[in-house]
Amino acid sequence: MLHIVDDEAVVRDALSWLASSRGIAATTYDSAAAFLAFAQGGAFDPEGDCVLLDVRMPEISGVAAFDQLAARGLTARLPVIFLTGHGDVPMAVDTLKRGAFDFFEKPFNDNQLMDRVQEGLAASRLASGKAAVQARLATLSSREREVLDLILAGKMNKVVADELGISMRTVEVHRAHIFDKMQVKTAVELAGLLK
Amino acid sequence: MLKRISLPSSIRWLLPVVLVLLFVAIVFWLPWQARQLESNERQEQLIADTLWVEQSIRFQLGRHEESLRGLANEIATGHPAPADVQQRMGRMLKNGAELKSVIQVDPKGRIVVASEGAPVSPGGDAMLSPAALAAQDHARRTHTPVYAEPEPIGGDAPPDALKMDLLFPIYSGDQWMGSLVATFQLSSLLDEMVPWWFAQDNQISLLDRDDKVLARRSSAGPGHGVYTHKRALDLPGATITLMTDSVKSEPKLLPNLLVGSVIALSLALLWSLFALWGHISRRLAAEGELRQQMSFRTAMENSLVTGLRARDLEGRITYVNPAFCQMVGYPAEELIGRSPPMPYWAPDVMEEYQHRLANVLAGSITPEFETLFQRPDGTRIPVLVFEAPLVDKEGRHTGYMGSILDISDRKRMEELNRQHQEKLQASARLATMGEIASMLAHELNQPLAAISSYTTGALNILARGGDAAMLKPALEQAGSQAQRAGQIIRSVHEFVKNRESERQDVALQSMLDSILVLIELQARQHHVSLQIEIPESLPLVRADRLLIEQVLLNLTRNGIEAMGDVQPLKRVLRVVAENDPLAGMVVVQVIDNGHGIPQDVAERLFSPFFSTKAEGMGMGLNICRTAIEFHGGTLTHRDNPQGGTIFTFTLPVAGGVQ
Repeated sequence: MLHIVDDEAVVRDALSWLASSRGIAATTYDSAAAFLAFAQGGAFDPEGDCVLLDVRMPEISGVAAFDQLAARGLTARLPVIFLTGHGDVPMAVDTLKRGAFDFFEKPFNDNQLMDRVQEGLAASRLASGKAAVQARLATLSSREREVLDLILAGKMNKVVADELGISMRTVEVHRAHIFDKMQVKTAVELAGLLK
Repeated sequence: MLKRISLPSSIRWLLPVVLVLLFVAIVFWLPWQARQLESNERQEQLIADTLWVEQSIRFQLGRHEESLRGLANEIATGHPAPADVQQRMGRMLKNGAELKSVIQVDPKGRIVVASEGAPVSPGGDAMLSPAALAAQDHARRTHTPVYAEPEPIGGDAPPDALKMDLLFPIYSGDQWMGSLVATFQLSSLLDEMVPWWFAQDNQISLLDRDDKVLARRSSAGPGHGVYTHKRALDLPGATITLMTDSVKSEPKLLPNLLVGSVIALSLALLWSLFALWGHISRRLAAEGELRQQMSFRTAMENSLVTGLRARDLEGRITYVNPAFCQMVGYPAEELIGRSPPMPYWAPDVMEEYQHRLANVLAGSITPEFETLFQRPDGTRIPVLVFEAPLVDKEGRHTGYMGSILDISDRKRMEELNRQHQEKLQASARLATMGEIASMLAHELNQPLAAISSYTTGALNILARGGDAAMLKPALEQAGSQAQRAGQIIRSVHEFVKNRESERQDVALQSMLDSILVLIELQARQHHVSLQIEIPESLPLVRADRLLIEQVLLNLTRNGIEAMGDVQPLKRVLRVVAENDPLAGMVVVQVIDNGHGIPQDVAERLFSPFFSTKAEGMGMGLNICRTAIEFHGGTLTHRDNPQGGTIFTFTLPVAGGVQ
């Protein structure tokens, strides 16, 4: 999902038309505040998100909005592409260093912009997957983490039971819980997920 | 300055006082000495004369004695006849009037022979006086003639007439044979013996041993008792003294006019000396005061920071003070007496100096003016000169006194101030320009970006083989955005049109005048001379005054700055205006002799944000051309055949074709 944040209705309309012409779904926000409200909700698109942020806006500027996203560690999940009327190179370099995805100066080549949007969506998707795995790992108990580490090291259930000083049966129960929580069916699949 | 031999003042005063006292002493001593000399001389003369008189008396008496001796001898030896004796006696009487009578007496005192004038006595007794008898006795014993003491004549002679007898003993062998008695009248003695010239000046007296006057001759009156001399007549038996007493009194202290006038003149001399002394001391006091004034004035001149310079009527320097020397960097010795051109004149301003000098020689001065001086090391100093006529003590006009202020600091302040002002104006203008540009860019960017996005999107759909009907809303949007862009352009045009209402009919000269101060300041800073050639008949132009002034300021500044590397004499900026009646335009040229414009620079000269200057903003020429074109004129440039560049712009004549 492409999120277009601009106070100019014409720009919002033109950009969403452009995105749709490349088959990219887009939503528009007429202010930074409206977009931050969405980001707060956390209802992100599993297919990836990308943000086109106008630098000059009344009330909350594009840079200020970006700073709030960065503070919540959302810049990987929501890659931000800045749009500006006047080349403000120092500002651009600064925001890129702090994690902005890219920076486009008006007038821009529209299809290049859309190409970058696609890359942004892909990056978002990747970030989204990693985030899911981390979320699943977080649900494991400490004993389950220990068992998981030994499984990833390629140890058999018997060896795991010996090392942890527990019964084979208990190890099998933990292993079943881990596979369940991590939503995998085999150890190979688990290793691939945590690679 | 003046080295004087300084005596202690006591000695300096003592010397004239001593000299004056000496002089006075001599003035009084000299007449006294003269008088003394005269008196001595007279005394000596008197003594000599007295001696002479005594000698002649003695001589006469001697002669008488000789005659008597002869007679006595004859009587003693020859026994002459009494008649012969008497005859000889008569001859003796004739020989001297002083001899009154001669008689011969025998030892018994009886007259043997008597001369004429002898007193006749009865009985032939000689009737010798006791004094004569004593003398006879004395003579008889000594065998020598002896004079008796004088005694009155008696008889019918005056009572004070005295006589004196000479008793001459007659001896025949040892036998005393009587005596010859010669009687002298003392008064006659003086009358006969003393010469008339002596008697005229002196009272001559004969005195006895008691200083009693025996006889006196005073034909010229009594003596004064001042010059006297006594001389004893050496007569055996009688003590008679000859005394002379001059009738002349003591010499007078001021005997004549000569001495008097010498003294009077001396006194006059003394008085004039004192007067001179007074005058000199007054002069000295005045001189001291003058010297004091002089040193006061010198100290004042030396402490001044204002330069002082005096010139005579030919322009020669007659005086400079240290501050002036310091200002121009030449020592006073090199300046005083110099005739124009002066060493501190800057070569490129020479014409101005010469012009002013010509005025000075013609007798008219500029009381206050600004000019440039140049030091030997080439640094230039702007100065402010005040000049006033110099008049001597007789009221004659002898030259000019000038005071010169170094106004470098003031100039620097003015320049700084001007630069500051200009920077402020420029930044204000830049801010406005930037704001307008930024606004324009933002305003136009939005519709242009939107149009771009719609058309790209449309092309994307067409490329994917999408339905053309899907394109309609996008194309409609693109069209409306293009119209919006046009709207923005129109509003800018409107803004420019509003500015047009500022236009008025204005003379080029008056626009130039109002910025001339700024141009001149800059020209002076770069040592550029400015030539403005605007004909009187130039018509008014229709122009936005502020914009055209800005254009003139920009073009002249460019020209002045372009001549930075040119030698000062060639730094001339000309602003030439002329009318072009065919085009209805006024043509203005700004001509410099600077470095010119290279070809590659010329191509980009009017493009925005282009500048060859480090601090330039690159808007100057671009704005200038825009401003001129708003007025319907043109701004072009071409190379100056004499080197440098000519910028030419045109402006429509007022009331001409719009």
